[in-house]
Amino acid sequence: MKYDSSIETDGRRRLRRAGVIFVACVCGWFVMQLEILGVRMLAPHFGSAVYVVTGSVIGTFLLSLSVGYMLGGWRSAQRQSRRNLGLNIAAAGLWMGLLPWMTEPVCDRVFDLGLDEKWGSLLAALILFAVPTVLLGTVSPTVVRWLTTCSADSGWNAGMVLAASTVASFAGCVVTAFYLILYSMRLTLWVSGGALMLLGAGLALLPSVWRKQDA
Amino acid sequence: MPKKIMIWAVCVSAFPLVSLRAEPEDWGRLIHRKDSLYNTIFVYQRGPIVTLRFGRRGGVPIQSQVHLDELHRHMLDYTKMTFCGLLYQPRPQRMLVLGLGGGVIPRQMRDFFPEAQIDVVEIDEAIVPIAKRYFAFADDETLKVHIEDGRVFIKKQLRLEKPPQYDFIVLDAFNGDYIPFHLMTREFLREVRGVLAEGGVVVANVFYTNRLFDAELATFLDVFGPCHVYMSRDSGNAMLVSQAEDEPMPEVEALIERARDLQETHRFSFNLITVAKCIRPTLRPEKNANVLTDDRAPVNYLRQQERNVD
Repeated sequence: MKYDSSIETDGRRRLRRAGVIFVACVCGWFVMQLEILGVRMLAPHFGSAVYVVTGSVIGTFLLSLSVGYMLGGWRSAQRQSRRNLGLNIAAAGLWMGLLPWMTEPVCDRVFDLGLDEKWGSLLAALILFAVPTVLLGTVSPTVVRWLTTCSADSGWNAGMVLAASTVASFAGCVVTAFYLILYSMRLTLWVSGGALMLLGAGLALLPSVWRKQDA
Repeated sequence: MPKKIMIWAVCVSAFPLVSLRAEPEDWGRLIHRKDSLYNTIFVYQRGPIVTLRFGRRGGVPIQSQVHLDELHRHMLDYTKMTFCGLLYQPRPQRMLVLGLGGGVIPRQMRDFFPEAQIDVVEIDEAIVPIAKRYFAFADDETLKVHIEDGRVFIKKQLRLEKPPQYDFIVLDAFNGDYIPFHLMTREFLREVRGVLAEGGVVVANVFYTNRLFDAELATFLDVFGPCHVYMSRDSGNAMLVSQAEDEPMPEVEALIERARDLQETHRFSFNLITVAKCIRPTLRPEKNANVLTDDRAPVNYLRQQERNVD
């Protein structure tokens, strides 16, 4: 993981930086998109009571993101972090693409447990949304690690990545709630899952432009 | 914790901005106001007339209105329109009403059918004491209010060993601004059909002024087969009426004849024959109207699209 900036040209470094931040943005977008669709996915099973929306769905995403941040931060120091991160993103995409088939059986089972709409919807939200959100949560800390070459830069890099991915989250929110909601939810999840799988596979498999850093 | 306090501070400081605005005069004095989990509930009174609204922005329809000296009078068009269900099921024994509001529909139904067992499902707990205190609503052994999301309630009934079979179901859970999409979809109406008794009838209160109406009608046609539409001439309300069986609906003449009989028997405070004549048996949804599903229900978008009222 040692990264020597002196052997890289300026242009290439900028390109790398942009690419890495782009990955963080894509993941930020899809996290919020999933959160908004999550509310719609649970409503047929647990209703649209305030508990479902604000407690269960938003709570699940916040908790999962924290776990993801922690895991991502921890794993970022390990070797082959790029391949690992690519696999994380692809797995999140796969899960997202499978969600349309998972929602009904999971919600039905949880409903049969006899939990009320508070704890029932929380449990269902955790089962359905925790895994992809944890996986996508690992992106930001890893990306910060990649960008950081000296401790003096770390704050700026962290701020930059968080700002960019959160702006992307905002865009994901607005576009999903205003426009994507007009289309089939299943289709949205399949396309999004596919996009994430491509991004993840690309990140994991492409011959490294940054081989020097990985070697 | 400090974040929570901050959110509260913002909410509380925004409150005077709202309350300083002038009261709408038509409904009289604001006598009660309650911020619940789901609504800002306003109760107005002018003489004997009490009005219930959620939010006070213009264009938000009135939820309920009663005349305290003449409790049998229907102040709003849609409450009497729901009685058109009686033309298909003249003697309901077990009723389900989704959406309480001021409780006018269950209260009136109760008066005419004292033997009927009525279940009302309301998501907003805060409405119940208001309906009781200001709108002369009362619950008891046979008229029960369940605080729950309508869809969750029906789902729970379906999982009982012997699900209740309702012969008269009123869907009236749509207030002005917020549209619960999950109470309009094909999957939901199929669940409704699961608790509909043989010979039972479903009546849904909708608005026919926007394109959501076409989608709702298309969904009813998809799930129930035939569907009769009753369009109010005085308001934007319409009733979608379907029966349990896939049988053809009664002829218009037969319905009006039945309205005449029922009017004679019950002496409703309004004229049921006039309601019956609001029927539009040939009305079909616009060609490109889509059935609403749990997967795709762009309800807010469709509601913003004006519909050519014919």
